[in-house]
Amino acid sequence: MSNSDLQALFTTLEMAALTTVILLIIGTPLAWYLAKMTSRFKVIIEAIVALPLVLPPTVIGFYLLIAFSPEHLPGQLWQQTTGQQLAFSFSAIVIGSVLYSLPFVVQPLQKAFEQLGDSLIEAGALLGAGPIDRFFSIVLPLTKASFITAATLGFAHTVGEFGIILMIGGNIPGETRVLSIALFDHVEAFDYARAHLLAFSLLGVSMVVLALIYGLNLPKKHPRNKVELNNDK
Amino acid sequence: MTSKTPQLNVNISVRYPPFELAIKQTIPVTGITGIFGHSASGKSTLLRAIAGLEKKLTGDITLGGIALINTQQRTYLKPENRQIGLVFQNSRLFDHLTVLGNLQYAAKRCQKSQLSLDEVVQLTKLKSLLNYSVNQLSGGQQQRVALARALLAEPKLLLLDEPLSALDQHSKTQLLQMLLSIQKKLNLPMLYVSHSLDELQQVCDNLIVMAHGKIVNRGNIHQVIHQLNNYSGNDSDNDIQNQQCNIIQQQTSLSLSIKTFNNGHGLTTLSLNKQQDIYLASDQSFKQQKQLRCFILASDISIALTEPNDSSIVNQLFGSIKVISHQTNRVLLTVTCGSQDFFVAISEFSQQKLSLVTKQHVYLQFKTSAVRTFIH
Repeated sequence: MSNSDLQALFTTLEMAALTTVILLIIGTPLAWYLAKMTSRFKVIIEAIVALPLVLPPTVIGFYLLIAFSPEHLPGQLWQQTTGQQLAFSFSAIVIGSVLYSLPFVVQPLQKAFEQLGDSLIEAGALLGAGPIDRFFSIVLPLTKASFITAATLGFAHTVGEFGIILMIGGNIPGETRVLSIALFDHVEAFDYARAHLLAFSLLGVSMVVLALIYGLNLPKKHPRNKVELNNDK
Repeated sequence: MTSKTPQLNVNISVRYPPFELAIKQTIPVTGITGIFGHSASGKSTLLRAIAGLEKKLTGDITLGGIALINTQQRTYLKPENRQIGLVFQNSRLFDHLTVLGNLQYAAKRCQKSQLSLDEVVQLTKLKSLLNYSVNQLSGGQQQRVALARALLAEPKLLLLDEPLSALDQHSKTQLLQMLLSIQKKLNLPMLYVSHSLDELQQVCDNLIVMAHGKIVNRGNIHQVIHQLNNYSGNDSDNDIQNQQCNIIQQQTSLSLSIKTFNNGHGLTTLSLNKQQDIYLASDQSFKQQKQLRCFILASDISIALTEPNDSSIVNQLFGSIKVISHQTNRVLLTVTCGSQDFFVAISEFSQQKLSLVTKQHVYLQFKTSAVRTFIH
């Protein structure tokens, strides 16, 4: 792999890792809120979260590009705070990735929280556990598989992004040039050998990730035999 | 655990239209108090309100002078700070933890740890199960773990929401005996919800009867059961009570001292009064007991006008008719034997044939098998 490809790989991994961490931090409370919410506005929030699933990435990328430009408020605020332009920066592709991969993290977590219900959380409260304690001692261990799924899907989906990144990040080596864009460059340049290498790497990573998810989500095996009644005397 | 007797003052309303729970009552939480009622009478909602799990609640609850909730004053003590334990119908064990892990979960979070884990394990006979996954346990074992876990949180008041309803008879008997011994040993007040009067009759000192979200009767367990017998099926003013009456079998509820465990014929003798005894088949579980709770269904007792000397029926009691109550197609007699009232259900035909009137002296007859205990 050439240096530029390696650089693209590191940029991709850095972006995906950061995106996943941010997604877990903001996605968990959002998913919890949606799982517990009974208001009629729930469907609206759910629709907004799910938008990236149906919208073409270029549409999201286009609106984000406008929002991130120094002529518009988000871009202006960013520039005032950091002193740097937001569009065509590493930060821009991370923000874009977070928005684009949001449903891949929120939806599995929301489903897991809904399935978990309130009964065990209530039991924990009655045993003296406060809300944070209950989350880490009951919710997290019991929804561990969904957190792994959410994190893996979020990571993998971010690694494979193309349209949004091209729109808001461009193709700046070491800054916004990620694997998918590097692959596109190789194809455009008819350098199929290097394109194959990158494509195969992405394919392999995706396969491993999916196998990992399915493996971790296999149901737990418990011995079928119940403890004999007279065993507890 | 506390040695003082906490008073539970409940003045609440919980609305889930069309259902409404409206309780204004001081509940004496000594020993084990039963809460009885049919489905959707509000029993579980009341327990959830006391535990702090009911969100749609207005009013106030105090336990031992401490305000658990007062919606007017906007005070609310979170469930984790109430020191109230709740054993649910479905145990609600954490299946990512072992039996020991579940117990340690409660023990670690108990702020004034006076009970040791070993003590509770011994009380609930869980020693050999500690390293098992909770999914490997039977329903009865899971409920024992749930009970032990609740005890380790050292509550001031333990709530039990139909804890035996999903269990077989053997497990029910085992857990009821365990509950009684734990209650005595720890002096822990309990509120026990059940739709099984048999269960409650075995362990409760007092009984609260609920219907349509209201408390309709409360008092000594035997008295309340007897009062439930007395609601006439024809009395339209007592609709709520009638509904309770319809779901119980009219019965005489007794708590008698054991005179002899085995009279030489495999029968246990219970002392009714100085002159009269009641016999029932001996059971090994009676051996350690001084007092036995039992009940006799009104339909299992028959009436004779003269002493039935030539009858195989062992239990024959002499008494006088106190009340004759006409119900749908039958008659409920209250017969006083010494100071104990017995309830006898006979047909109108029999009542007319024997020309029964109040204050008349009669003999009651019932087989030993009619004297029922929950412990089989």
